[in-house]
Amino acid sequence: MNTQYKINKLDTSGVGPLVDRHWRELREAKEKGMKIAWCAGPMFVYAYATPNIASHFMAGYAAYCGGRGMADEVLEAAERYGELRDTCSYHRLHTGMAAMIMNDWPVSNPQVLLPMPDLLIGGRFCTEMSHYMEAIHRRFGIKAVTIEIPSARSREDLPRLEKFLTDQVKETLIPAIEEVSGSKFDEENMRSILRPWKETCIIRNKCWEFFKLKPSPWTLWDYGVSIAPVFYAMGKPESLEYYNNLLKQLEERTEKNIPAVHPDGEKYRLYWDGWLPWSFLGKFIRMMIPYGAIPIAGRYPWEFFPHPEDINTEADDIIHEWIRLIYTSPNTLSYHDGPWGGQEHIEDLIQTYSIDGMLFFSSNSKYRKKIRHTRDCH
Amino acid sequence: MEEIMKQFVEYPSDPYTSIAKWKENTKKKVIGIFPMWIPEEIIHAAGMLPVVMWRSNEAITWGYAHVPPYNCAINKSVVDDAVKGKLKFMDGMVFLRQCLQSQEVPFIVENNRPPAFEEYLYLPPIYHGDKASKDFTRDEFKRLRKRLEEFGGEKITDEKLNESIKLYNKNRSLLRKLYDLRKENPGILRGRDVLRIVWSSMLMPKEEHNKLLESLLSEMEKNGYKTAKGKKVFLSGCLCIHPQLELLDMIEDLGMLVVDDDIYVGYRYFANDAEITDDPIGALMERHFIKTPVDPARGEVEVNWGKELIGKVKKLNADGIITLLTKYCPPHLCYYPDIKVELANAGIPEVLIEVEHEVISLESIKTRLQSFREMIGGR
Ligand code: SF4
Repeated sequence: MNTQYKINKLDTSGVGPLVDRHWRELREAKEKGMKIAWCAGPMFVYAYATPNIASHFMAGYAAYCGGRGMADEVLEAAERYGELRDTCSYHRLHTGMAAMIMNDWPVSNPQVLLPMPDLLIGGRFCTEMSHYMEAIHRRFGIKAVTIEIPSARSREDLPRLEKFLTDQVKETLIPAIEEVSGSKFDEENMRSILRPWKETCIIRNKCWEFFKLKPSPWTLWDYGVSIAPVFYAMGKPESLEYYNNLLKQLEERTEKNIPAVHPDGEKYRLYWDGWLPWSFLGKFIRMMIPYGAIPIAGRYPWEFFPHPEDINTEADDIIHEWIRLIYTSPNTLSYHDGPWGGQEHIEDLIQTYSIDGMLFFSSNSKYRKKIRHTRDCH
Repeated sequence: MEEIMKQFVEYPSDPYTSIAKWKENTKKKVIGIFPMWIPEEIIHAAGMLPVVMWRSNEAITWGYAHVPPYNCAINKSVVDDAVKGKLKFMDGMVFLRQCLQSQEVPFIVENNRPPAFEEYLYLPPIYHGDKASKDFTRDEFKRLRKRLEEFGGEKITDEKLNESIKLYNKNRSLLRKLYDLRKENPGILRGRDVLRIVWSSMLMPKEEHNKLLESLLSEMEKNGYKTAKGKKVFLSGCLCIHPQLELLDMIEDLGMLVVDDDIYVGYRYFANDAEITDDPIGALMERHFIKTPVDPARGEVEVNWGKELIGKVKKLNADGIITLLTKYCPPHLCYYPDIKVELANAGIPEVLIEVEHEVISLESIKTRLQSFREMIGGR
């Protein structure tokens, strides 16, 4: 008899209010006399650590717009300005929103309105991130600082890349932040945010351990919707609370043998490569579930501060410490993010999470991580 | 003239065979470099022939096992050529990080058909012109020099490097002279010929190319500069690849004359010299940071491509701009809307043509070019 598989989602409803609060606070920040920074890539930490700067983490906006059913409207605004469809949708969402604000074009759901920035910080992990900073700079004259963060080709390259990034940050980014904020960069404040953030991510990583179980008590999509607190409530108690609650649910499910897939758990465990299709999570899982297949692991969701254990929040040079995490720390993000280390990383995820099959989500509207890791196929 | 042109055409007509033949005859090493900013001079000073990788002469097939169709033409094409073994006459390859797509090509090549020598340069963008980026670039060039010394077994002295820079500067200045002649005498050469002259410079030894250029320029002077009549247009964009020759013919057939460009297989390739100094690596580094012609892949915040184009068009008294956009090239795609707005505000007519590797519908391009021709003054 054919098994009728059914998904059993975790309760992730705590994310909504937390995310809404973040966006509300961001919209109100200007009235409180704060400066605004729009940030793409890992350099956002420095703006976030600056007390009178409210930071908008740009990668999260696509998921937010998608969730509020506003992605199409904002993307259309971008096209009305002249943006071409072959660019990344993260790019067009921001240039579209900027066009809406600056031209007073109507926005049917004001929840997605963003405050215009005083500073743009583009971390060129992905080079296109810098292109949207440049575009907004050209159109509205907003100061743009773009920092090159190359993915390492080999582990040997890591120390010099780390030095290069540190030099850029100290020479260019920190002075720009100081200029916009009007005060000296507050290293102690950075530590005070990183400490609880580290604690939160350690709990989040305990949740990841449950992906190793067969059957799995949750899916990659449950985690996908739970990513937001990592950066929207960075270092805040509510983010720790969210993951503690998630952990509790996972422990309970494990204890009571409740799998993510009814009746007896998943048949196939999938690796998902590429970004998560925020607006179509439901659509995709509905395609997989009749076969008993669920996504379990992927590189993209593992990108956000994946190894909190590697950071020393008490380091003397805390500015450099964040960069060390990207390059020469034991679990180097920069190497794993690039094509070379990416292959190692994928192999590791496949082993660790007992993956049965792989899905490469390679979309032309977001360029990162799209090569196929093929070898000797001819 | 015809005889000289024949020699220019030889390499672009079949780069695979011509370069392999050169290698066979000279017993020297050939190093393929990925467009657009790898300093060829360092490779030349190592006694090897640097050749700029090109868009291939056939449809992509095996390459699609490695890159999706929505990668830009040069990426798809180099990957396809490499995995098919068509580039095996190259002793080495040098890649760079200039955009997301180009950083992935060496990975695929290494995994499938690794050349004997391979290097990957992390060349940074030039936004802030900061000390960090300059020092880093200098170190990258030094690293390339050292790696080539190890591979070739020959020391690359500063003297040798300066000799190579001189040779390359000469080539650039001759090409600029040719371009100046075209600006003053529109139609002096067909668009397809100008393209093949520049392209051949990317493929053949500069020593030979310089001789050919000198002969061509003196021949042209002897014959008198014959111009043609037509609307004057400026070609812009076309990063990393050469446009189809048929496209250039079509522009002329519709009564337009290309008087200048900033395309890669064009002015962009030979725009900037490196200085001759006691520190040639430093001079190559300084050239990397020159902000014009604006290069969207290298990043800019202080200069503006749209404004740069307006300045050029006004100076040339050109009638309009034909933008050639390498399909799926994010640096150009992201910049284009602002160029369009700038040009519209300045009242400069412009048309956008997307350039792909293979799927190019000349009929639809013709329709667009026809209406553009009418816009700038109908026939
Ligand atoms: S054409 Fe554009 S996308 Fe392609 S390699 Fe060149 S700069 Fe990169």
